[in-house]
Amino acid sequence: MSPNPIGSRMEQLAQSLAERIVPMIIDAIDINSIIEKVDINQVVQRVDVDEIVSKVDVEAIIDRVDIQKIIDRVDINKIVEGIDIDALVEQTELGSIIARSTTGIVTEILDVIRAQGVGLDDFTLRWANRLIGRGKKIADWPVGPPLCVPPKAAS
Amino acid sequence: MTMPAPNPEMTIGRQGHYAGAASRLVAFGADVGASWGLYTIGVALFDTFFHLVTRRTYSLTNHQILAIVILVVWEFLYYTYQWGVSGRTIGMAVFGLQVVTVEGARITMRQAALRTLGLALCIATLGIGFLGILYQRERRALDDLVAKTAVVYSWDARAARLRWMARTENPHQSAFPPRPSHVHPEERTAAP
Repeated sequence: MSPNPIGSRMEQLAQSLAERIVPMIIDAIDINSIIEKVDINQVVQRVDVDEIVSKVDVEAIIDRVDIQKIIDRVDINKIVEGIDIDALVEQTELGSIIARSTTGIVTEILDVIRAQGVGLDDFTLRWANRLIGRGKKIADWPVGPPLCVPPKAAS
Repeated sequence: MTMPAPNPEMTIGRQGHYAGAASRLVAFGADVGASWGLYTIGVALFDTFFHLVTRRTYSLTNHQILAIVILVVWEFLYYTYQWGVSGRTIGMAVFGLQVVTVEGARITMRQAALRTLGLALCIATLGIGFLGILYQRERRALDDLVAKTAVVYSWDARAARLRWMARTENPHQSAFPPRPSHVHPEERTAAP
C-alpha cells in the first residue's frame, strides 16, 4: 500500500473503475469482426516456425508421454482384421519372396555355384588380360548393357 | 544343412553385368549334354514307336546322313527356340545367364536364329570365335556379334540372399568355423 493516503484512495478508485469499465469495453468489442480483418496468412508467414521448434524440448515431451498406455488402448486385433492380407501380398513382392524363400537345398547349391562361376569368370578375365598385357586398361569398359546396369556404374 | 552364403558382391552386385568365359563355357557344356541327351531319348522313342506301329525294326543309327540332318535341325531348334522364348537355354538357366540385346532388352526370335547360326560358326572356327568373350569390350563372342546380342548374369540373387537368411538362425554368423590364430607352440603349452 502507498504511504500517501490520497494516493491510496486514488489507487483503489482506479482499480474499481477498471474492474467495471474493462468488462464493458470487452463486451462492446466485436472480436469476430476484428479477426475477420486480420490476414492470418500474413501473420503465419512472419512466424519463424523453425525457431519455435528449436526451442521446444521434444525429448522432454516424449518422455512425458505414456506410450504403453496408448498401445494398451489400441485394439491391434481389430486393425489386423481390417487388413486384406491377400491384396497386400498380391500388391507387393512378398508372395514371390515367401515362395522362393521356402524352396529346397538344390536352389541354395545353385546360388553358390553361380557365385563361384562369377569368381571364376573374374579370374579368367584377369589372366587373359595379363597374357596380352592389357592390364588395367579395361577399367573404363562398360560392365553391362545400358538397360541392365545404371549409367553411372556402366561408365 | 545350410550352404555358406555367397558374397553379395558376387551375386546381387553382378546382376546385369556381362558374363564371363568360365560361366558361359560351363553353361554351353551343360547345353551340349542336355541337347544330346534329349536327342538320344527322342531317337530311342522314335525307334520304339516305329517298331510298335509297323512291327518292323528301324534304327536311325543305321541311316547316318539322316541322323546327322535330324541332329542339326534339332540343335538349331533347341537353341533358337529357347533363346527366342526366354533368352536362356537349360544350361544358361542353371548358371544364371541370359542373352539380351546390346542395349539389354529381350532378344527377338530372328536374333535367336542368327545367334544359333553364329554359334555354329564359332564351333566351325574351332573355338576361335569364342575368344571375343575374353578380349572383346563387351565380352561378345562371334555369335553375339552376328546377332547383336550380349550375355549377362541374370538370376534372382536378392531372393537367394533372403532364402539363405531365412534358413540361417543367425545370418551374421559365418558358416565357417573361426580360423585358428597363429600361436607359438611354446606359448600354447604355457597357457593354462
